[in-house]
Order: sequence, then C-alpha cells, then structure tokens
Amino acid sequence: MNKYDVVINFNGNISLPVIDDILHKLKVYLHNNINDKLIRKRVYSLAVECLDNIFKHSDLTDINNKLVNKYPPKFIVEFFHDTFLIHTGNIISNENTEKVIQKLTQLNKLADTEVNQLYKDSLSNAEISEKGGAGLGLIVMAKTTRQKIHFDFERINHNFSYFAMQLNLKIN
Amino acid sequence: MKTLNIEATNKSPRILFDPSKKLFEMKGNSRPENVRDFYYPIIETLRNYFDSMAKDQKLITDSEEKPFKFNFKLDYFNSSSAKFISDILVIVKDYYEKGIQFKVYWYFEDGDDDMKEVGEDFADMISFPFNYIMVQR
Repeated sequence: MNKYDVVINFNGNISLPVIDDILHKLKVYLHNNINDKLIRKRVYSLAVECLDNIFKHSDLTDINNKLVNKYPPKFIVEFFHDTFLIHTGNIISNENTEKVIQKLTQLNKLADTEVNQLYKDSLSNAEISEKGGAGLGLIVMAKTTRQKIHFDFERINHNFSYFAMQLNLKIN
Repeated sequence: MKTLNIEATNKSPRILFDPSKKLFEMKGNSRPENVRDFYYPIIETLRNYFDSMAKDQKLITDSEEKPFKFNFKLDYFNSSSAKFISDILVIVKDYYEKGIQFKVYWYFEDGDDDMKEVGEDFADMISFPFNYIMVQR
C-alpha cells in the first residue's frame, strides 16, 4: 500500500448518482488495499455520512449559480501513512453556521464515552427532517473517528459561507 | 393479517414480517434514498399488528408459548436508518410492556466489533436484552 494515496478527489454537484459512484470507487479501493474489514466499514460509513451531509445540508446547490461554481461542493479522501483523511466542503447559509459551530464545538469537547452516551440519547430523541436526516451524522463521525473534527467557515458574502470539514481515521 | 416481504437492494435491506411464523427480520445494507418512504410503512405495519394483538388477550396468552422473534442481520446502516431501527426496537419494548413476548437476535460478523457495539447501544437504549450471534463469513 502506498504511503500517500488520493483515493477520491471530487469537486462538483453531489447528486444521488454521484454519491453511488463515489461510494463504489471507495469500496473498490478499500477492498483492494485494506485487509481489516472493520477499518473498511468505518471509512465507508464516514464517507456515507459526509456525502449525506453535503447532499442534504448544502444551502446553495444550483451548479449554474456563480457562487457554487466558485465554491463547489467537495469530497476528498486521502490516505497518508496510517490515517485516512476525509475532507468535505459545501456552501451553508450564514444563519445556519452558528448551529453547526455549536454542535461541532460541543462534540469536540466530549470524551469517547460521552460521545457514545450522546449517540444513545440522540437516537431516542432524533426526529427525521423533511430531507430525511436524523441529525446523527456528526455524532456518528465523532464516534467512529474518536478524534476531533476539524472545521472552518469561510465567509463568502452577507448570506453564505463555505463550510469545510476534515475527519481523520487512524487504521492502527 | 398484513405480512411484509421486501426484497433487498444494494441500498435497502430485505424485510420480512410474517406474524404466522412470529418472525420479523431485517437483513443487508440500509441507506435508502428516501429513508422515510422506506421505513414508515414498516413501522406502521408493526405498530398496527401489535396494537391489535395487545387488545386481544387470547393472542397475548398464545404469544407466551412462542415469543416473537426479531432478527437483525445487518451488514451496514447509515445514521438515518439507525433512527428507524431504534423506532422498530421501541415497538418491541412498548409491546413487551403490554404482555407480548419477544426475543431479539442481533447478528454480527466475526471481527465486526462496531456492529456488536451498536447492538449493545440499542439494547441499552430500550433496556431490553438482546441475544448476540457472531457469524463467520
């Protein structure tokens, strides 16, 4: 296995067929390069949650829109040394940024056992949104990686920001 | 008596509900494109069935002889599906408290500690004991 691999490097509109295509490519890579089934499933699970988040929570998706052209959704998976790095990016409305910052900041403060407890509590209380999300995606990411979630918001204009996130999953 | 027999796809699990055999089973992967459209009818069918059963004392008495078996043979499910799996398990808990007997079997592949752990999370969440079955593939 190479010490550095770009497994997936996608910039553009994230549609359901695109998600299927990315996940298929990822599955093939994992099957050919990772022996440990648990790690294969964890990387796959993180990819599903990240792609679902971009698909369901991007606040501006029209690819013909100038802003989307300049700040397209992105989904990148790299493998470096002993870690999978998953990078995502999408446009989010400024009114939603505070909610996401609060959720991620809170998650990053929690110990592993507290993340597990939050997951159980959230399962009981979760409600499925119009878009089909249960609000559990970020918690699953923290639970799966057991590492801090890196994130950043770049303000684009009065209405929108670009939300970038990075997950690290160690294979050992 | 409504039964369910939904074939698996690469994104949705096989679902089998056969009250005559006292069996509910989910098997495969779950990340349906429209998670609500997939799971709502299943949950409604289960609730309706156990609701009518709970109102019929004879059925409850019969159920004590042979419990309803809920088999979860899942390979992968996303977080939205997890919410609906938890809703199905809440049905088990609710109707167990009304006198209907259940057994929950949670299958996981040898080495898939995460799948076993998520089963333990669900069991903990509904305060109902699961039977864990490790399978070799």
